[in-house]
Amino acid sequence: MLHKTLPQIAQELHACIGCNECLLACPAVTGSVSIDVLNRETLSGPISVPVARFARACYQCSACVAPCPVGLHRDAMMMWLKVRMLRSGWGE
Amino acid sequence: MTRHIKMNSVDNAEIVIAGNGIAGLTAAIEARRLAPDKRIVIITDQNHPTINTPALKQFAIDKLTREQLLAYPAGTERAQRIHVINARVEEIHAQQNFVCLTGGRGFGYESLLIATGSVATGLPQNLPGRDFDGILTLHRLNDYLDMRRRLSEIEDAVVVGGGPHAIETVVCLLYWGIRVHWLIRSDTFFPSTLDRPASDMVLERIRRAGAKVYTQTEVIGVVGRVGSVNGVVTNQHQFLPCQLVLVCTGTTPVTTLATHCDLPMKCMRGILVDDQLRSSVRSIYAAGDVAAIRDPQSGEYAPRAQWYAAVLQGRIAAAAMAGSAVHEESFGVPWHATRLGELSLLTVGNPFQWRYTATTLTDDSKGSYRRVSIVDDRLVGYLSLGPSQPDGLAIKKLIDEGHSIRHIEKALLKGKFDARKYFSHQRSYAAQYMVHTGKLPAPDALEAPHQSQTQVGTLRETGPLTSSDKAITQNVAMNRVNTDPLYEVHVQNALDTLAQQKTIVFFEENESLFFESGLAPNQPKQRPSELPCVIDSTLVALPSNGSRRNSGNLWSYSEKLPAVKARPKNSQFIIFPRSDKKEIGRTQERKHPSSSLWAYTEKHAAVKKGH
Repeated sequence: MLHKTLPQIAQELHACIGCNECLLACPAVTGSVSIDVLNRETLSGPISVPVARFARACYQCSACVAPCPVGLHRDAMMMWLKVRMLRSGWGE
Repeated sequence: MTRHIKMNSVDNAEIVIAGNGIAGLTAAIEARRLAPDKRIVIITDQNHPTINTPALKQFAIDKLTREQLLAYPAGTERAQRIHVINARVEEIHAQQNFVCLTGGRGFGYESLLIATGSVATGLPQNLPGRDFDGILTLHRLNDYLDMRRRLSEIEDAVVVGGGPHAIETVVCLLYWGIRVHWLIRSDTFFPSTLDRPASDMVLERIRRAGAKVYTQTEVIGVVGRVGSVNGVVTNQHQFLPCQLVLVCTGTTPVTTLATHCDLPMKCMRGILVDDQLRSSVRSIYAAGDVAAIRDPQSGEYAPRAQWYAAVLQGRIAAAAMAGSAVHEESFGVPWHATRLGELSLLTVGNPFQWRYTATTLTDDSKGSYRRVSIVDDRLVGYLSLGPSQPDGLAIKKLIDEGHSIRHIEKALLKGKFDARKYFSHQRSYAAQYMVHTGKLPAPDALEAPHQSQTQVGTLRETGPLTSSDKAITQNVAMNRVNTDPLYEVHVQNALDTLAQQKTIVFFEENESLFFESGLAPNQPKQRPSELPCVIDSTLVALPSNGSRRNSGNLWSYSEKLPAVKARPKNSQFIIFPRSDKKEIGRTQERKHPSSSLWAYTEKHAAVKKGH
């Protein structure tokens, strides 16, 4: 799978309008993850437990991509979040 | 400036922001990151935290709760040490660097950001009956709360307006089972952006969904009963009974502060700003809906009342106010993506602006419609309407950076452009180039390494209030690159070598997942005269002079992300004066159901004939 670079991910996160459509379409979302927290933690800073749990549950089915009204790629954002988790020790 | 200022109550901060929309709050947060020690203050009369305003339509159909509308987690301002003052800025005393708040309180600043947003235009002031209860504009959270409270009592509603906001409102009302009469002044939907086929597609879908659409129709009066709306009268001599009138006729920037400033601030359809969001008054910036920025294609100043533009402007203004030297992003061309019922709409650039100079290809297969505007082999405008949303930011990047679309033209036209694959290949080509030449590639080398090509680009100064347009035609032959299947091994070797030479900046721990290439930050750029040239060209010389901006500089992505550095020149577009049409060649605007490329054939034939 070809993914996006961090600057592209950041650009998409800045373009996110917070409509929540991606989370509504997600078959793997667990608990109460809000889009603003997810966006913030995808890019930088500490990763909270609910977001980490969600990132682990995400299996990159891309169901979140089609519903996005502005054509963003939540799957690529989630992949970046997974990479951040691994680097910060969440995957161990 | 007759207001009496309570000078004994003057407080101050280094960075003062008027308005807490997304541009204002983004600027405050970014400024905090860039300047941890500066005092940052937001002055706003809004009674709620910053919300995702585009998500209000989801809130209107009960898909989101109010809490889910928050743009940043609750308490962000406090956590970021951003002081919020609940007041309104009434005047700016720019000569003495302070603003006057409600009640005459003064507040000093070093840098002031005007992020006061916009207001809904509403019905004309002289329209009979415009003050009846039940006439709403939908712009702010309070408007949507008001509408939701009324929905249970509404059977018929009239929506006024011919743009995306109007159709989103129509869809919302249909969702609640309300009969909708949609009045559009023009004979097509969204005439500034959509052509007739696209408009027809949208209107047909919305009619099928149950709305009654009235084109070339305006409200000339509102009829009420005991203070509430009972119906509207149109210029087509119709009476439409309704209990709710929703006015979606656009927005107007709130430029009151520009007129209430003791120094003249340039203002025309918004406060005029440059690439760093500086207004014409020292130390005063503007961002968001209130700022009029320059369109690199048309050269005109206009607000970009869109979410992404506001976020970007907030970040750029913050960098400028915090005194940060860095900013790598530029506004580029306008980009707008939204959902219109079942259809997704994407516009990048100004497709209609190029109707006389560009080759236009259209495709209306499979229930979609796409319109691609091309000058030579560069994309200058893109319109897509269909069930799925293309990667709009990637297409914007193609236009902003002037990539050749020779090899992806059909994919763009058919809506099958795979941005991830395309840009991944671009990076691979750059790596190949390094392996086989031992040099870092010039940005243009990334575009089509397998063949010689002719490139046309222009450069335009983007200073706010300066306008020197320069353009140049440059023919560059690219060396053929060996497509060795083992190039990945070579790439790794090259990277190791180059890393030792310290010519490439590697990303920090959290930056680098994939390698991106282009010019290293410290690498001197080749001048055009040093590049191999092809003398003969099938292209007609373009009517301007100046140096060409290097395009496709993937190193723009290599620096630390929030870094903000003003790019001095950020446009490659040429504005063709109408009188130059003969030089450029005939415009071709055709319908290509099969998306064949025969338009190019005709164009080249015309050039050969000397037209």
